[in-house]
Amino acid sequence: MTAHALEISGLAKEFDGQEVLHGVDLSVQSGTVTAVVGASGCGKTTLLRLVAGFETPDAGTISIAGRPVADVGRSVPAHRRDVGYVAQDGALFPHLTVGQNIAYGLNGSARSTRARVTELLETVSLDADMARRRPHQLSGGQQQRVALARALAREPALMLLDEPFSALDTGLRSSTRAAVARLLAEAGVTTLLVTHDQEEALSIADQVAVMRDGRFTRVGTPQQVYLTPGDVFTARFLGDCVLLPATITSGVADCALGRVPVRGDVADGSVTLLLRPEQLVAGAVSDGEGGTGVGTVLSSEFRGRDVLLTVDVGGGDPISVRRHGIDPPGVDAKVRVDVIGTATVLDERP
Amino acid sequence: MRPPWRRIGALLAAAVLVTSAAACSSASDESDGLLIYNAQHESLTKEWIDAFTKETGIKVTYRQGGDTELGNQLIAEGTSSPADVILTENSPAMAAVEKAGLFADVDPATVAQVPAQYRPATNKWTGVAARTTVFAYDKSKLTEAQLPRSIMDLEKPEWKGRWGAPPVKPDFQAIVAAMLDLTGEPATSAWLAGMKSGAEIFQDNIATLRAINAGEVDGGIIYHYYWFRDQAKTKEISGNTALHYFRNQDPGAFVSISGGGVLNSSKKKADAQKFLAFVTSKAGQEVLEKGTSFEYPVASGVPANPALVPLADLQAPAVNPSDLDAKKVTDLMTSAGLL
Amino acid sequence: MITDTIPAARRPASVERPGPALVGAVVVLVAATLVPLGYVAWSVIATGPLEVYALVARPRVVELLVNTVGLVVVTVPLCVVLGVGAAWLVERTDVPGRSLWRPLLVAPLAVPAFVNSYAWVSVVPSLHGFWAGILVATTSYFPFVYVPAAATLRRLDPAMEESARALGSSPAGAFWRVVLPQLRLAILGGGLLIGVHLLAEYGAFAMLRFPTLTTAIFEQFQATFNGAAGSTLAGVLVLLCLVLLAGEAAARGTARYSRIGSGAARYLSPHRLGAKAIPAWSVLAVLVALSLGVPAWTILRWLWIGGTEVWDVDGIVSATVQTAGLAAVAATATTVLAFPFAWVAVRYRGFFARFVEGTNFVTSSMPGIVTALALVTVAIRLAPPLYQTVALVLAAYVLLFIPRAMVNLRSGLAQIPPGIEEASRSLGVSPTRTFVRVTLRLVAPAAAAGASLVFVAVATELTATLLLAPTGTSTLAMRFWSLSSELDYAAAAPYALLLVGLSVPVTLVLFRQSTRAAAL
Repeated sequence: MTAHALEISGLAKEFDGQEVLHGVDLSVQSGTVTAVVGASGCGKTTLLRLVAGFETPDAGTISIAGRPVADVGRSVPAHRRDVGYVAQDGALFPHLTVGQNIAYGLNGSARSTRARVTELLETVSLDADMARRRPHQLSGGQQQRVALARALAREPALMLLDEPFSALDTGLRSSTRAAVARLLAEAGVTTLLVTHDQEEALSIADQVAVMRDGRFTRVGTPQQVYLTPGDVFTARFLGDCVLLPATITSGVADCALGRVPVRGDVADGSVTLLLRPEQLVAGAVSDGEGGTGVGTVLSSEFRGRDVLLTVDVGGGDPISVRRHGIDPPGVDAKVRVDVIGTATVLDERP
Repeated sequence: MRPPWRRIGALLAAAVLVTSAAACSSASDESDGLLIYNAQHESLTKEWIDAFTKETGIKVTYRQGGDTELGNQLIAEGTSSPADVILTENSPAMAAVEKAGLFADVDPATVAQVPAQYRPATNKWTGVAARTTVFAYDKSKLTEAQLPRSIMDLEKPEWKGRWGAPPVKPDFQAIVAAMLDLTGEPATSAWLAGMKSGAEIFQDNIATLRAINAGEVDGGIIYHYYWFRDQAKTKEISGNTALHYFRNQDPGAFVSISGGGVLNSSKKKADAQKFLAFVTSKAGQEVLEKGTSFEYPVASGVPANPALVPLADLQAPAVNPSDLDAKKVTDLMTSAGLL
Repeated sequence: MITDTIPAARRPASVERPGPALVGAVVVLVAATLVPLGYVAWSVIATGPLEVYALVARPRVVELLVNTVGLVVVTVPLCVVLGVGAAWLVERTDVPGRSLWRPLLVAPLAVPAFVNSYAWVSVVPSLHGFWAGILVATTSYFPFVYVPAAATLRRLDPAMEESARALGSSPAGAFWRVVLPQLRLAILGGGLLIGVHLLAEYGAFAMLRFPTLTTAIFEQFQATFNGAAGSTLAGVLVLLCLVLLAGEAAARGTARYSRIGSGAARYLSPHRLGAKAIPAWSVLAVLVALSLGVPAWTILRWLWIGGTEVWDVDGIVSATVQTAGLAAVAATATTVLAFPFAWVAVRYRGFFARFVEGTNFVTSSMPGIVTALALVTVAIRLAPPLYQTVALVLAAYVLLFIPRAMVNLRSGLAQIPPGIEEASRSLGVSPTRTFVRVTLRLVAPAAAAGASLVFVAVATELTATLLLAPTGTSTLAMRFWSLSSELDYAAAAPYALLLVGLSVPVTLVLFRQSTRAAAL
């Protein structure tokens, strides 16, 4: 029997009379990465801080590695929770060297500490002689990695990362992200990370939880969450959407783009259909053509490698279609829009 | 940036060392020997102490302060005061301490050395020196005929803006106390009112004398010995001035008695009495005659420094030093707006 | 894309209430700092309203009020004009010798006001009265406006002046309508500081024979010790202080003195003075000559005249040792005791924190003489063994200078990155050890700076020391005072030199700070 590395149940918290978390549940399996995604102010950072032990919950329980750390009335203080916490800006101690920072939580002999520091620096792909430098002498990305090493030093049961890549330049972000994901996977350490960037969550997490106003709207694997988001908000949050009104008859949807297969068991009736932009292909057709899926280009926005076409297919709002940028159709040209793959039905009207 | 621990540690260590050094130096004050609360001029008391220790071998330490300050301190400390002896420049402070019941009786042998007019009838303390009130004036501005006959003249409108004095000083307040004793409250109040509207206010005797010398005022009320001290040195603040003695038992001829007393709470009363006895003995009084303090000796028949006008010639008014009421004087001065 | 993330520095570390131990400690300290106010209130009540009225409605009090209020009302605007004018000339025009004027205009802060008086009186012995007081006060205190004004002008965004000029304002108009309003905080803060110093100063005005409320209180104390007249005057003085505070707070509105962040301001080319350079230069030269030249020259002259005789080594060494000892202990105690205040003010929001800030603001304006009187009364009535001990003097210093230590402690605490302590706790270090290993280490430089400010303030303090120092103690300031009272100017000169010398390092620090921050 494997206890989950992190179990959260019914967690609620209010600040200054305002409820920030409305009773959330979450399980994180050992060795996996879970990303909590949401807009600023949705409560995800509060969730992380509650797990870290910097705040006490008003209701609910938290268990780390099978051991309850927060319950009604009692809460294990942060320094006894065996978690590793990496703040948004790294929070390295300015008065210590890099090596002293990493060794901060360690309690061994000088020699064993030094060895561990070198080992950790190697794990985060930093030179061993960085240990003598001061935090302000490092770049943002390097500081982030030192913060990781510092948190990993005590081999915690759970790593908590608060927007770990948002302070980095865009160019650095993806490479650092990949490196960190690899590192965490190799170390096999359970991670809960919090971010507002959906691309980040989808790319490195094993489990994604989308949060809105203190509640999870969807929890699942990245594929599940992206392809079957459940409601419009979540769908929009995770990527661009094309929403079409449609009628379901015997499991097939009828919409302005023709007949589209639908994922899962859906009752007959009118629904809102969710299509992702990558599912739409626009091909030029002669002006005389008509029929479903054929529409007029209303505007064309050149974006370098692709163009964004706004196409009027009749029966509703114009839809956005991306097309590669070679010989794009001009305005007022006719295009046929074809659908690849299955569509998803959403729970709400837009 | 690492906090400079070494520097902070060094500073703290230095601070501890320095404070303990300072504490030690003040602690050694009270370790052995007599402790004198001294309001007299430091140089004079040092001479007395040196001569006394040479003669008797008894060590003496002192704390320097002002008349009122030390008097008040004694009264506040009460019976737990560490002082053995108090020496003042004027009598009102002694009278206040006497009223608080803090003095021991002075040895009869010591009392015998001091003539009756220079000590209180209660013999709770004794005079050890004296100074006389004088009117110092700018020689170039005032002739003999223009000098005031009595100190009471100075309140009159013709003296407005032409004289000065230091009302803040216990010295001057002793003079006003005598005036109160001799002329009564209404006359003293009127005089103080005249002083408020007509006199230049100075910080102390020296500042007054300097101003007279510089021609800022025509004259002023000070104690005599400041003039003589300066004359004996560089004449820097008295070169253009001369002294006028009021005589005729005028309040302005008031001779203020510097007092010495033994505290009841002293643990070394015998030695303290010996000190008082020495100060009022021939040897002690000769320090006044031969030294540079220019204050008047009062005991053991020792004459004054030859430069001074002899005490007997001053025609000082008879004032019982125990009757001098410092509190009333400050009340009157407050009402007059001088304080 | 990053939406509205709150910058980390502004996230409060805790929205909780402070714990009971902290509240208890702070309440005790606040009560201690309110002792002077309490003393005044108590003595007014104890004396009885009729007698108080009789004591206040005297012509003497009117005279003292006229003098004191007149002093403030004339000196502060004068200092503002001089300070702002000098700052503008040095920072915004091409007046020659700017790099020299900058330190010279800050240097008068190193000369205590009573040393300044001593210099003037020894040069012109008959100098006394109202205008003498104004002269010495202005030349001693104008840097309190100059320093923040210069710092603000240096950091001013040139775009505003440029926009004003583009909209048709003349240079003078642009100054009045755009630059001067930016200087509002500097002027108000500096003006308040000057006012508080004027109300509290004893030595400078006593030497000039200019009676103010404080000199009169001192004289009353010497004559009557604890009398009603003295404490009533103290009450009037405290009232004036509170009026001053209220006026400044009202004029300031809700604006707070903020630090302008680091980062160089854009360079604005200075105004060309052309023919007006000579008069401008002369004005600055006269100002420096009066404020710095006179004391410097006088001290050196007296030292020269006095020769080696005036260097009474025993006396000087003993006084220095006593002064240094007192100052060191006072500085340490003050910094340690100010820490809880600073902690509450920086780390918490809500009523308690605002209360602490408010009381701190009020006690920062209490004159030393009122604090000294209060402590004497408390000692005599409640704890006689404490009277005339070093402990009482130290208590006075602590009460007087906690606000000064607070300034640096607050900025030091505020600069600790907020996530640091949490990071330490998440690394398995308990909150107490985190406090020692992280917080104290990071706040140490600011604490040291605050302590050195207090050290200098104590070493040059005169008024409370004269009242409270045990008989037999003699600090540098006390020796200087007794020697210069006896007109022994030459013998006082070495002490004056030492007093100025002690203040120089801190003045240097202030000067360097003024090139960065915008508030004293």
